Amino acid sequence: MITLPNECYYPIFNNLQDNYKNLLSCALVNRQWCRIIIPILWSNAKDHLNDMRLIKIFLLMLNTKEQALLIPFNIILPSHPVPLFKYASYITSINDDLDCGITRWLRYNKYETGRLKNVVKFSLISMFLRTNKSLKCLSLNSNYSNKFGSERVNTLLEALYDNTALNTLDLYNNKIAIILD
Amino acid sequence: MDNGTSNSASENETITLKSCDGIEFHIDARIANRYTLLNNWNGGESACIPNVNGKVLEKVLEWCEHHINDPQLNCGDDDSRRRNTIIEEWDENFLSCDQDMLFEIILAANYLEIKPLLDLGCKTVANMMKSKSPEEIRSAFNIDNDYTPEEEEQFRKENEWAEDY
Repeated sequence: MITLPNECYYPIFNNLQDNYKNLLSCALVNRQWCRIIIPILWSNAKDHLNDMRLIKIFLLMLNTKEQALLIPFNIILPSHPVPLFKYASYITSINDDLDCGITRWLRYNKYETGRLKNVVKFSLISMFLRTNKSLKCLSLNSNYSNKFGSERVNTLLEALYDNTALNTLDLYNNKIAIILD
Repeated sequence: MDNGTSNSASENETITLKSCDGIEFHIDARIANRYTLLNNWNGGESACIPNVNGKVLEKVLEWCEHHINDPQLNCGDDDSRRRNTIIEEWDENFLSCDQDMLFEIILAANYLEIKPLLDLGCKTVANMMKSKSPEEIRSAFNIDNDYTPEEEEQFRKENEWAEDY
């Protein structure tokens, strides 16, 4: 039985990239295929950020610092084993659908959505910037009329500073104000 | 015939290629002109193409000969070409060989950088995976499942969203 090297599997699975169900079946075949398919499948997830199931996975990927930002707001993070892959690192662009997904997740878990949405979003975006080498486009079009503490903004700015991949940052009319505590 | 490519060789010119098991092929020089890597092994008395045996090379060259007058696509067309999974009838018949041969052709096309043939082989394999369950794909390609049941369960949960789009 002839086996193909990974470099030949990429073009094979790329042929299936519009059919998620097919990709998923192939990923479940064995671990080798799975490792090739996950980046292909999750690079498409950027079009479905309004799905709260994705938000739940992303929340599992926050580090202690990003989690700490949520503690004052009594947000209980999902308790699930550590994800099998660094799924968030395959997202290439983030848009306002993320707000929609976060709102859905908050509503589903019975939190108020107004202020908490931006709180969660800051943590998630910090995580995306920290973990992601393929994130090219970040657009923050929601209204940040609420003031954020310097700790939150610093985390975001630090993550922005360390990120070398981003080539588009669209803040629209938002000003991210740093308030000294 | 002018098909917009830079074929300097004339129709009657031939070159000689030798497979790794020593079988010689005399082919139209225009083929070697088109696929640069084939040209590398042209004419050398003892030079032969490593890794590709006579049986496979014969198939590869048969494909090249049939497609000698195809317009050459530039790299920009890559994605659209790949996404389109429709395969011409001649190509379909050509690749309806046993799976080992199909994989050997893919390996050779990859090694010899014959991109349209590589794409075609990959499309054919992708089509064999379409609308199949993981179990059906495993048995079609003779692959063992190396997931633990717990891992598989967790993987399904984490990727559940993809079932709905």
